[in-house]
Amino acid sequence: MDGYLLYSGCLIPSRLPFLEASSRFVLDRLGVTYEPFPEGTCCVEPIGLRSLGYDAWLLVVARMLSIAESRGKDVLMLCNGCFLSFKEAAHALEDERVRHRVNQGLAEIGREYHGGARVRHLMEVLQEVGSSRMESMVTAPQDRLRLALHPGCHVIRPAKVLRVDAHYSPRVLADIASRTGAQVVSNDAWPRCCGGGLAGVDDRISSAILQDNVDSFKAAGANCILTPCPFCFVQFDLRQKQGLPVLYLSELVALAFGASPELIGLKYHRTKLE
Amino acid sequence: MRKVALRPGLEDELKDALSQLELWRCHQCGQCTPVCPSARHGGIRTREVMERASTGAMDLSMDQEIWKCVMCNSCSERCQLGVDPAHVITLLRNAAAQRGNRPEHFAEELKLFASSGMSFPRTGLTRKMRKEFSLPELDVSEGTMEELRRLISSTRLGRL
Ligand code: SF4
Ligand code: SF4
Repeated sequence: MDGYLLYSGCLIPSRLPFLEASSRFVLDRLGVTYEPFPEGTCCVEPIGLRSLGYDAWLLVVARMLSIAESRGKDVLMLCNGCFLSFKEAAHALEDERVRHRVNQGLAEIGREYHGGARVRHLMEVLQEVGSSRMESMVTAPQDRLRLALHPGCHVIRPAKVLRVDAHYSPRVLADIASRTGAQVVSNDAWPRCCGGGLAGVDDRISSAILQDNVDSFKAAGANCILTPCPFCFVQFDLRQKQGLPVLYLSELVALAFGASPELIGLKYHRTKLE
Repeated sequence: MRKVALRPGLEDELKDALSQLELWRCHQCGQCTPVCPSARHGGIRTREVMERASTGAMDLSMDQEIWKCVMCNSCSERCQLGVDPAHVITLLRNAAAQRGNRPEHFAEELKLFASSGMSFPRTGLTRKMRKEFSLPELDVSEGTMEELRRLISSTRLGRL
């Protein structure tokens, strides 16, 4: 693949730029090339905004898919929410009638989508690098980590649309984690939800769901959580009480590749990694 | 595609949208509920919401239960009949929002999105951190904002 359009969404670039820094560090080390996606807006995230305006969601994402298509590059995503939003829109737009209707809206701004964009998640791209290549680049094995894996709902379900991993007993995140020398102590067969989607809407339920996760991670003997989703990252980092530290996927890989904690901004975590 | 017979509780536009779905396949087996992380804590009862959507026994201007779904897609993945409850709930929420029934949190998010193109505020800390990590400044251009405004003006979001 000759270069991606790097779409970091809005949570990462505005509140968690350090996750963008570690992602770029890892991509650079692996020789994966990318360029910015300056026309990007919020993906009309699939929990709140899409619930208010399904029709606007499809139009706004179709606009970005049409831009990616005209550039002839795949879009690389750092966020599960964005990934679900783009993949489901691309899937809906495979239907010619839907595409026709949406293109009537896009014509208003002089754009058209033909159905040719491809969307990839960072987790998929890292998986494709392959274990031998990645392992050969590990200079600081993360063997003190006993990880609880949390892929997050929106890189797994709906499996038939996202096509990243199995919906029952997924393996991809475990594969990548084990290449860094870390030990995996917890990997749910049916990946759990972090509860983040109800934060600010129903905080009691949101926290109760979060606690279900943390209890099971602790019972498994984990000393850290690993996730490829910035929304889950925020839920774990900010809202746990006396909780476990959490690493975003690119942070774990960057540390294993020898990045210093300062370089990738680990100091910005609320719950510190010892 | 077979149409669902709905009682008058749900209005025409919504009936139309729901009739495009596979809701008619639901035979109330209840497999969607035990996988629901919210149901376990007294939030949404997925099977019952599917029942109420099928029969029209729902007042969308007031219903609070539909807003207790965390959109994890577990129910949709589990349903063996392809009903896709999470999508049904999304459309129910759309119709509810049109009737003024929406959580304040999402209403605020929408304001931010419509005015800035982003759903999170850019703050001083954003700029400081982006500089610290030599990341380009985060900016949605006026041209992009103009396209966004034109796109959403005719949609349900634009009407909210
Ligand atoms: S939505 Fe599916 S799983 Fe849920 S009750 Fe209906 S048929 Fe069963
Ligand atoms: S998508 Fe909503 S209703 Fe379905 S299992 Fe998840 S929280 Fe429950």
